[in-house]
Amino acid sequence: MADVNDNGQKTDSFLTQMKNAVIKIITFQKPAATEGFILYGIDDTPQDHEVTGDTGKEKKRGKKKPLRVKRTVPGETQEKDVREQSKKEYNREGLHDYRKLLVDPGLKTNKRCIEEIYSLPKNKDIIIRDLIISAEQPREAFAVFVEGISNRDTVNEDVLKPLMLMAKFEKNVDIMDMADYIRKHVIYSNQVDIHDKYEDIIDKINYGSTAVFIDGSPRCLVIETKGWDRRSIGKPETEQVIRGPHEAFNETLRSNTGLLRKAIRNPNLITEIMKIGERNKTDVAVMYLEDLASPRLVEEVKRRIESISTDYAGETGVLEQFIEDHPFRPVPQVMVTERPDRAASFIMDGKVAILMDGNPNVLIVPTTLFTLLHSPEDYYLRMPYGNVVRFLRVVSSFLAVMTPGVYVAITTFHQEMIPTDLILAVSAARETVPFPTIIEVFLMEFAFEMIREAGVRIPGVIGNTLGIVGALILGQAAVQAGIVSPILIIVVAITGLASFAIPNYSMSFAFRGVRFIFTALAAVFGFFGISAGLFILLTSITSMKSFGVPILSPIGPRTKTGPDVVLRGPVWSMEERPDFLDTLERRRQPDISRGWVKPLLNEDKQGGNGDE
Amino acid sequence: MNNSDSNLIKLGHSEAIAVTMIFLGSKAFLGYPRMMAQMGATAGWIIILLSSIFSIAFWLIISSLLERFPGKSILEINEVVLGKYLGFGLNIIALLYIIFSSSLLLRLFSEAVILTALPHVPISALNFLFLIPMFVAAYLGLEAISRSAYISLPFIMAGTFAVLVFLYPFWDITELYPVLGAGAWPLLKYGFLNTSAFGEVLILAILAPFFSFGPERLRYAGITSIVIVAVSLILITVVYLMVIPMPGATENLVPFYQLSRTIYLGRYYQRLESVFILFWTFTAFLRLAIGYITAALITREIFKIPYYRPLLPALAVIILSLALTPEDVMKTVELEKQLRLFYGWIITFFLPSSVGAAAYLLKKGDRRGKKA
Repeated sequence: MADVNDNGQKTDSFLTQMKNAVIKIITFQKPAATEGFILYGIDDTPQDHEVTGDTGKEKKRGKKKPLRVKRTVPGETQEKDVREQSKKEYNREGLHDYRKLLVDPGLKTNKRCIEEIYSLPKNKDIIIRDLIISAEQPREAFAVFVEGISNRDTVNEDVLKPLMLMAKFEKNVDIMDMADYIRKHVIYSNQVDIHDKYEDIIDKINYGSTAVFIDGSPRCLVIETKGWDRRSIGKPETEQVIRGPHEAFNETLRSNTGLLRKAIRNPNLITEIMKIGERNKTDVAVMYLEDLASPRLVEEVKRRIESISTDYAGETGVLEQFIEDHPFRPVPQVMVTERPDRAASFIMDGKVAILMDGNPNVLIVPTTLFTLLHSPEDYYLRMPYGNVVRFLRVVSSFLAVMTPGVYVAITTFHQEMIPTDLILAVSAARETVPFPTIIEVFLMEFAFEMIREAGVRIPGVIGNTLGIVGALILGQAAVQAGIVSPILIIVVAITGLASFAIPNYSMSFAFRGVRFIFTALAAVFGFFGISAGLFILLTSITSMKSFGVPILSPIGPRTKTGPDVVLRGPVWSMEERPDFLDTLERRRQPDISRGWVKPLLNEDKQGGNGDE
Repeated sequence: MNNSDSNLIKLGHSEAIAVTMIFLGSKAFLGYPRMMAQMGATAGWIIILLSSIFSIAFWLIISSLLERFPGKSILEINEVVLGKYLGFGLNIIALLYIIFSSSLLLRLFSEAVILTALPHVPISALNFLFLIPMFVAAYLGLEAISRSAYISLPFIMAGTFAVLVFLYPFWDITELYPVLGAGAWPLLKYGFLNTSAFGEVLILAILAPFFSFGPERLRYAGITSIVIVAVSLILITVVYLMVIPMPGATENLVPFYQLSRTIYLGRYYQRLESVFILFWTFTAFLRLAIGYITAALITREIFKIPYYRPLLPALAVIILSLALTPEDVMKTVELEKQLRLFYGWIITFFLPSSVGAAAYLLKKGDRRGKKA
């Protein structure tokens, strides 16, 4: 079949080509070996010292090995490697080899070390500044800092200037005491430490400090020079109030702890700092009042945070998922706030606040369902107004969960409940609607959820479009086209409004999700289905705990508490802290906290105008 | 109970009372008022009064038995007092009673739902639907159920009394005459036989190790529950007899539903029965879940099994198949009546009281417990 063309090459006839093409299509062909992009590039087979287990030797000063991890050559073996690596257990032994190193007296060695660790000169963020310390015998030194997170002025004025200009040592300082002498006499930054382990030094450099290595000295000066561009303290975005402070936490851990410390001026306020994430080491601060919070609670919080082993957990939302008790239940078990006043009031109740670097949200544990429904403003408003808003909120949380379900149940199963005039109106409105109620409800509820989600994601510039699409097209046009009934629009709107009246973001998510289940149950079994759903919801909530505290405390189980559960009493009547928190001191204030209201002692005095 | 998790679960006084009240009172939503009307005619409520007094007397005996063995359940006490084999037999009877009564109630509640809300659903499907929340609740544990009972009890009570008050326009006190109804002797007879209506207070004795308080307060918990439930049942029966007069009162399969149907407060507020379906089905779920988990806990206790959760599926199958055994509603109602009147009080009150008497005669148990 093969022909020979002009150049003498063999060419297949058209039929043969067709036959081969068909065979190629219908049979399995071995895919061409291509170099794909796979993120597992690192060969983390045990290094020599790990195999021998001879880690002690590594501490010997001066023994430095190439610190870079070996990368595999992209090629055919990659696929197999990837599979093997994914099978490997989570092991971070060899992740930071430099951790075992100590500072070397030789300046060159130290420099090489730093260059290895930070992959210099590829890495452009790390600045190494060579300098000569102006002592009687000038000494070579170099400073290391990270551009962008160290304050330029502080480095110039407080580190380089004193070292280079003002370090006129009066006497000949011994090289071993050099670092200490400089710390005490030369550098006037407020936080200067001396370290000899690379582990500590690198952590500090990564967090904005400047390290100064001196020739001949096995010690390194670490000067605090943090300073990066950050958002100033702004207004709360999700927990706005009319009465009360308008400060919110921002993304800097230290200013957040400062905000709390500013609010609670008490030496017993403890800030413990832990680090999570093997690769990133995010700072996590745990704040509590030592003479108030239950020591077991504090212990448990610390135990849970310390036990986390992961590569990276950089957000309180992630941390929350790591430490919560019931990950699969809808109700959140950790309270999130961005208001320092609120966090402070919880700490004053004996709860524990968890702050994380880079996060404006603070976690409060333990929490109860009722505190999730409270808003800080409830306390700042006078008692009657506070109770009105709370009552409103309780009603709206029921509405958010139940309205679509009840509507579906009534229109599908229990029409007799609706008064005749109303049912005539409902059925007249539904006359042109081609769908059964349940489909109608699901359509509109889903559309509402889409509007909500789109509203969060939409760029501000085109935000107006959303209003037009949501209100005009989905609302008005859908009704006019006879796709949904106008009454349903009201139902969806009420549900939506009610769900936004719930102050806690996670909680309102929970309620909105649960309402779909209730709607489905109502569509199949009417009120019986709703009742079954309520029963399962209630039992599942009553079985939940948040850091050892039942989430429905103080009602389920019933424990002693002040008049502040669903509604609240006047502030002067909240004499005791909730019993379920097991605080070291139960009492918040004496029985008579308004000293000016004096009980009448003698009946003689009773005349007057009652002011006595 | 011997198990380690009994140390973890501790229910408070309020939860204990709530569980007992739901366990005792849920029958108000079934045929109980009708049964009273059948037995005592216009004096049906007197039967409840009498039987509650009898039950309190019985409960005092049983609670004094519990006082002799602080922290022990009636099941353990049975074995201690009567010996291993006799006690085992007695416990098996208690287990069978609770399984039978739970499955009968499951059937009756399902029939009531069919009658009132979902006429086209097959009984097997409804039974199964009742079983799912029961299973979930029982799986989550006694703690969750008792707390749910405590939280929902005020709403259930409020709903119940709302129905009674809303019927105010129909109250006709003359329908309660003659006061003694069927006559003094039948009242006394049924008053005694009917003590089994409150016999389920024995649940307190069965769950005794799970409570955070001692036998002394357990006694008050029992008495409180009996009194509150008796008052509620009397009120419901009285209103029932006043609103739906005597001959008709014996003919309603679900009297409470009939009551809520009768509500007519002007053209707008009428036919509210669907709202009350919410209340009484919720009570039904709670009651069935309590019965279910108690059956599981008793089984665990009798056979000395470390966990109760693996028993739940098996018990679910047993309860479901027993519930589906009676041919129709009337058979079920008849069976329930027999179980209640002729066996119920023997098992729930007579046998434990006899054990109490035996303990007294054999001088077993800690007599100082009473003083301590």
